[in-house]
Amino acid sequence: MSVDVGDPSVKRENIVPSPRERFTRVLSVLGSLQGYIGLILIVGFGILSKGDIFWNGINLTNAIGAFSSRGILAVGETLVILIAGIDLSVGSILGFCSMTAALLLTTRDMNPALIVLISMLVGAFFGFCNGAATSWLRIQSFVVTLAMLSIARGLDRELSNNVSVGTQVVLANGHLAPNSESFQLLGTPGHNLFNLQIPFIGQVGIYYPVLAFLIVCIIFQFILSRTRFGRHIYAIGGNETAARLSGVNVMLIKIAVFMLAGMLAGFAGPIDAAYSASADPLAGQSFELDAIAAAVIGGASLSGGKGTIIGTLVGALILTLLDNVLGLNAVSDNWQLVIKGLIVVVAVVLQRPGILTTTFAYVRSIIAKIRPERGGDKEV
Amino acid sequence: MMSAIAGAGDNKPQDNSESNGGIPLLEMVRITKSFPGVQALKEVSISVRAGEVRALLGENGAGKSTLMNILDGVFSEYGGEIRLDGHPVSIRSPRDAQKLGIAMIHQELNLVPELSVSDNIFLGRELRTPLGTIDLKRMQHKTAALLAELDVTISSTRPVRMARVAEQQLIEVAKALSLNARILIMDEPTSALADAEVQRLFKVIRQLSARGVAILYISHRLEELQEIAHSVTVMRDGELIGTHALADVARADLIPMMVGRPLQEVFPKGESTVRRDQELLRVEHLSLSVDKGGSNRALHDLSFTVHAGEIIGFAGLMGAGRTEVLEAIFGVHPRRLLSGHVYVKGKLLDARSPRQAIRRGLAFVTEDRKSQSLVTILSVGFNITLAALRRFTRGMLVNQQQEQVAVVDAIHNLRIKTPGSTTMVNNLSGGNQQKVVLAKCLLTNPQVILMDEPTRGIDVGAKSEIYEQMSRLVSAGMGIIMVSSELPELLGMCDRILVLSDGRLTGEFQRGEVTQEMILEAATTQEVQAHVN
Repeated sequence: MSVDVGDPSVKRENIVPSPRERFTRVLSVLGSLQGYIGLILIVGFGILSKGDIFWNGINLTNAIGAFSSRGILAVGETLVILIAGIDLSVGSILGFCSMTAALLLTTRDMNPALIVLISMLVGAFFGFCNGAATSWLRIQSFVVTLAMLSIARGLDRELSNNVSVGTQVVLANGHLAPNSESFQLLGTPGHNLFNLQIPFIGQVGIYYPVLAFLIVCIIFQFILSRTRFGRHIYAIGGNETAARLSGVNVMLIKIAVFMLAGMLAGFAGPIDAAYSASADPLAGQSFELDAIAAAVIGGASLSGGKGTIIGTLVGALILTLLDNVLGLNAVSDNWQLVIKGLIVVVAVVLQRPGILTTTFAYVRSIIAKIRPERGGDKEV
Repeated sequence: MMSAIAGAGDNKPQDNSESNGGIPLLEMVRITKSFPGVQALKEVSISVRAGEVRALLGENGAGKSTLMNILDGVFSEYGGEIRLDGHPVSIRSPRDAQKLGIAMIHQELNLVPELSVSDNIFLGRELRTPLGTIDLKRMQHKTAALLAELDVTISSTRPVRMARVAEQQLIEVAKALSLNARILIMDEPTSALADAEVQRLFKVIRQLSARGVAILYISHRLEELQEIAHSVTVMRDGELIGTHALADVARADLIPMMVGRPLQEVFPKGESTVRRDQELLRVEHLSLSVDKGGSNRALHDLSFTVHAGEIIGFAGLMGAGRTEVLEAIFGVHPRRLLSGHVYVKGKLLDARSPRQAIRRGLAFVTEDRKSQSLVTILSVGFNITLAALRRFTRGMLVNQQQEQVAVVDAIHNLRIKTPGSTTMVNNLSGGNQQKVVLAKCLLTNPQVILMDEPTRGIDVGAKSEIYEQMSRLVSAGMGIIMVSSELPELLGMCDRILVLSDGRLTGEFQRGEVTQEMILEAATTQEVQAHVN
């Protein structure tokens, strides 16, 4: 998680780069790339095994589109994991919110924009409950959100009477109702914002859910790295006592983080409903596990203070493209699950800031020790 | 340079307990132990007879606990030899010690709160029935017998968490007895006890002593020693200063032995910069009650002021409540536990949170920088600006250019040795980490800095740099409250020294008119001695 822009000692090194410094710089570039190695491997495997069938715009956007509601959950999950918490309830909240959205659409014929807004508020309320119980009642977030997982799911099923609600309201003339039609834009494949002809990839359209996922990623990466709120999140996860003694309002920020995770689940709800053209009372089940997996594959540490949204995005891409590649290669669902589980472990080991970066840091610290002894004045 | 005295002390076997002749029960010969960067013990030798109660005295960090931990097998790497009944023994783990009949009661008791008294006593060596199941009956029966020996009336089936601290201590004693311990080590056993409970513990100690158990007793409370110990061993800076029969030494002689170290550090504090007319912080009748389940010590009715350009020092023994004073001012403890008022520049503060205290111009350098002050997995720059981010925030965004300038300035001004501002704090040395903490505090533009053991665990060079910074800050008109266990540091740096004992002010001294002995005297008195200002 790069926090600083410039580094004075690095600037000084720029003036006279010795071979050793060049080497360490190459190492650091490799270190920063290691998070993408898994992704590169999977894409490489996809291209080698299925070539054009995998590497074309429609397949890729479909694959990512199918995952985008879970990707949005993963962004919220990353925030919670950064403060050393965990949110098991996002899948259930997504389920409840997708049901809310579908009912608002079918029974009230509400404008989809308003539906999304209400759904986000509902999600944020669930998140607030999680946060309040975590920070005021001082219950571990695992327990709180485990309870919420059950509560939100129960409410979802009660709300729907255990019946799924279709979101395509057909008028007498056989066309979709206008609100229903624009609601579908949120998730149904084929509705692209624009279509581009890109060399090597072919026709690429940015499909609304993918767009939503990417925008959410950009906004939250920005919040984490550029705002005070973001810094405080890292501080709380890294050392809660130190954060509190440094004047960070720990309770408020924890509650805000859980609210944001809930809100994002509320945003993902209508997207999921639109994607499957119906809100199922079981929608979103076990999505929280994919969200956690994406964050963890992306380098987030469950002990807090470590992780980025970019990492989570990469983690989400790894998960979704892996599914896609395996599916294209006709690997059975059962084996897909097994492989997915193994990938989580392998990816986490690969991305440990150990394999390349610590070696690099270690080498650098030795260099820092040796250099002054040689009479150099580069290190202060 | 103290080894001459140490040698003189240990070569001559002291025969001061009720002598029963022959070989001492325990001999520790030329024990040395070093930790990275610190020589914790330098050729320390002691010998103890059966039935002797030996007090170990010394300041914090003198090496008493290290020596006892070696005897108990907690530290397996050490130099020197341990002999029992004249035979060399090898103690490399607590289990070895147990087998040899050595038991230690740590300051933090080692009992499992949810288990019953008898389960705790037989933990790991449970008695079995012929069927292999746990023989509860027999364990409870034996426990009851052990407890009866100690005159303790606790049911053996009761969970330990329901016993009071004093009872828990006696349960530990019972456990030691069940191990047939011949040597019992007690690390500050009375620090958490009330007077009546102390008497009961002493009675038990006398019983054990009469049965021939040797007792090694670490304590800071000098007045206790007269009552319970036969002999006393004084340690200082990892060296043995001497062993004496208690009948031969007066309390007044012990204190100089404990602290009589030549001033090693040079304190850069120059002329007093105190501006008497400018009051920065005023504390009135501050009291703190003990939180249920919390570990804080109580404070009783403290009042003092800090002026511009002044360094106030808090002296006192461990557990006297020094840290709690700073925490109480800084808003760390819940308001409901506190009474009294804190004023910053004449305006009421009474901080409810550290955030509020920081905004009103206080800063806190905590005792344990790694667990309380620093986010060690993040960068130097992140940590330096953490408390003062508000200064670099425009609207929603952190201005990273401005922030970077401030970080580079801080690294330069405080001479923090780091490869760069993006280096993880974990990778810095203790001294440089402490400078990062100081940089973080200074960036909030404080009026008064609260410093808890500001030089603990850092090397001499970094220490003197911290002292220099402190002098620079007070000459710029800030006030500093400093807590320290190192008396020379307090004497060298402070304009005034306040002494705490059991959460009460027991002394106040001006710079120049105070000696280490006076401070220790005040720190070990139980009653209120002086209450100036």
